[in-house]
Amino acid sequence: MVHVGSHETDRPAKEHANTAGSTLIEVAEVNAGYDNQRERTRLIALRDISLKVTQGEFLAIVGPSGCGKTTLINMIAGFVKPLSGVVKVRGVPVDGPGADRAMVFQDYALLPWRTVERNVEFAIENRRGHVPKPERRARIANALQLVGLAGFEKSYPHELSGGMRQRVGIARALVGEPEILLMDEPFGAVDAMTREAMQAELEKIIAETRQTVVFITHSIDEAITLGDRIVVVSSRPGTIREIIDIDLPRPRFDERNDIKRSARFGEIRSHLWKLLSDEALGAKWGSVARQEGETA
Amino acid sequence: MTHVAPAERSTRSPAQVETITVSRYASLKGVAVTIVNLAVFFLLWELIARAGLINELFFPRASEMFAAMYNGFADGTILPEIWHSLSNFLIGLAISIVIGIPVGLLMGASRVADLILSPYVWAMASLPRVALIPLLILIMGFDNSMQLTIIVLSAVFPIMVNCMAGVKTVDPSLLRAGRVFGTSRVQTYSKIIFPFTLPFVISGVNQGIARGLVGMLIGELLGGGGSGLGFLLDRAGDQFDAPMLYAVLILLAVMSVGLIQSMRWLEQRAAPWRDTLRT
Ligand SMILES: Nc1ncnc2c1ncn2[C@@H]1O[C@H](COP(=O)(O)OP(=O)(O)OP(=O)(O)O)[C@@H](O)[C@H]1O
Ligand SMILES: [Mg+2]
Repeated sequence: MVHVGSHETDRPAKEHANTAGSTLIEVAEVNAGYDNQRERTRLIALRDISLKVTQGEFLAIVGPSGCGKTTLINMIAGFVKPLSGVVKVRGVPVDGPGADRAMVFQDYALLPWRTVERNVEFAIENRRGHVPKPERRARIANALQLVGLAGFEKSYPHELSGGMRQRVGIARALVGEPEILLMDEPFGAVDAMTREAMQAELEKIIAETRQTVVFITHSIDEAITLGDRIVVVSSRPGTIREIIDIDLPRPRFDERNDIKRSARFGEIRSHLWKLLSDEALGAKWGSVARQEGETA
Repeated sequence: MTHVAPAERSTRSPAQVETITVSRYASLKGVAVTIVNLAVFFLLWELIARAGLINELFFPRASEMFAAMYNGFADGTILPEIWHSLSNFLIGLAISIVIGIPVGLLMGASRVADLILSPYVWAMASLPRVALIPLLILIMGFDNSMQLTIIVLSAVFPIMVNCMAGVKTVDPSLLRAGRVFGTSRVQTYSKIIFPFTLPFVISGVNQGIARGLVGMLIGELLGGGGSGLGFLLDRAGDQFDAPMLYAVLILLAVMSVGLIQSMRWLEQRAAPWRDTLRT
């Protein structure tokens, strides 16, 4: 087996990060779960999660379906409160959503009665003094251009394909230029070619804006091409199996030099593949028994 | 590896949007079909009645019905009653809307309000309206206010219950999007909860109209107020005036269809995003 770096979570910032940054997001010894009032049980979704994200870092999260990725990102967003432990942003415990964090939702969460441009505007019209009105038009047009939806400003979500709706959700998250981008499988419904183009676009944007990104994906390749680090979550209950440094040079999307052909990419890829297929099998055979153990 | 800028790939291109021609007579076609349909209906009615298969006492000819209707309008017996019923009904509906929507929204938004009010609301929503007539007559006599009250009591609960259901079923992920993008409490209502609830409100009003019409007739038939279409119906029955009876029934049908269709039209205007459900 090729060696792939695996580290403690509170490891100091790496030289290849965009900005040699201080800790921006800190998840400390968090347990999370959902209560079922009817059956009087509690499903433990995440157990003992500790993790730090530095300023300007691109953190990718992978793991089998149902392992608690959305729960984790929802805690950072501020919707879900941990059962124990604490989530901090810039040293301050998270108590609900804030202007510094925007999110791309796994289920898009677009307002069906608003057109595409009005949906994007939603991100910058609610907080007082967020983006002045005259500036909004240009910002919205720019965001829609970035996700390739120029010309669809007046369409309603129900008139768009799944992948197009998802891109509206991305434009909505980008338009306010938040410090932290939380993206829950943002390219899940997009075709392979568009997906790659959007990954390249995202990398370019991030390099420019130096935003910090937490990015959930089911695609190993996507995690490696985009991430500075990859968190592998194992399931039932979700725990951090491993955190992998991706020491590939940036920009990763380079016409002359396909990063996916590099030896290093292949090493990381097969390592991740093995981790995740263990997970998938483990989930298959062990899930029922473990699940029963966890619900109390 | 080559990258195609996403902006170039999926921008709406002229090649994707074509102009289509819609026949100018497309909408007229529906009207024409309806006219022919009705003409055939009344013709069959006339023929069956003329054949004398059914006792003329309760099955008059269509032509007699139309004559009764014409005479009723000409001698001024029908129009004031239509006006009475319609204005009563519209006032009752307006009161129901003004009460039903806020209370329904409140019940959807506040757990406490729901807990306190829902037993009464459900009891009143389920109770057959006729059962209230004796009590209302006892309280208000044969006054017009009694007829109004029964309309309101019929229409208000479906409106309330639907509004409540609308607020309660707001998609939680939309509420999350609201929180992420910084909606205040007021904005959460005005930008997410109200728009989401609007179609529910309209279908509540639709049901309110249907129930309110029943309430209106019950009030006029049993309330002994001596006016309204229900009264005409009652009197025509007493006088064995079958043509008039049928004429009033037809007028009632026209009135109900008109009200319900105009709500349908409103529903489509108010919720264009529900397009997919219609086509
Ligand atoms: N609102 C909820 N109520 C109860 N249980 C929930 C809720 N949301 C998630 N869960 C449970 O928590 C666990 C983790 O769910 P989560 O959505 O975080 O998984 P995920 O890793 O995002 O999965 P996927 O990759 O399929 O999106 C699952 O077992 C799920 O059943
Ligand atoms: Mg998820």
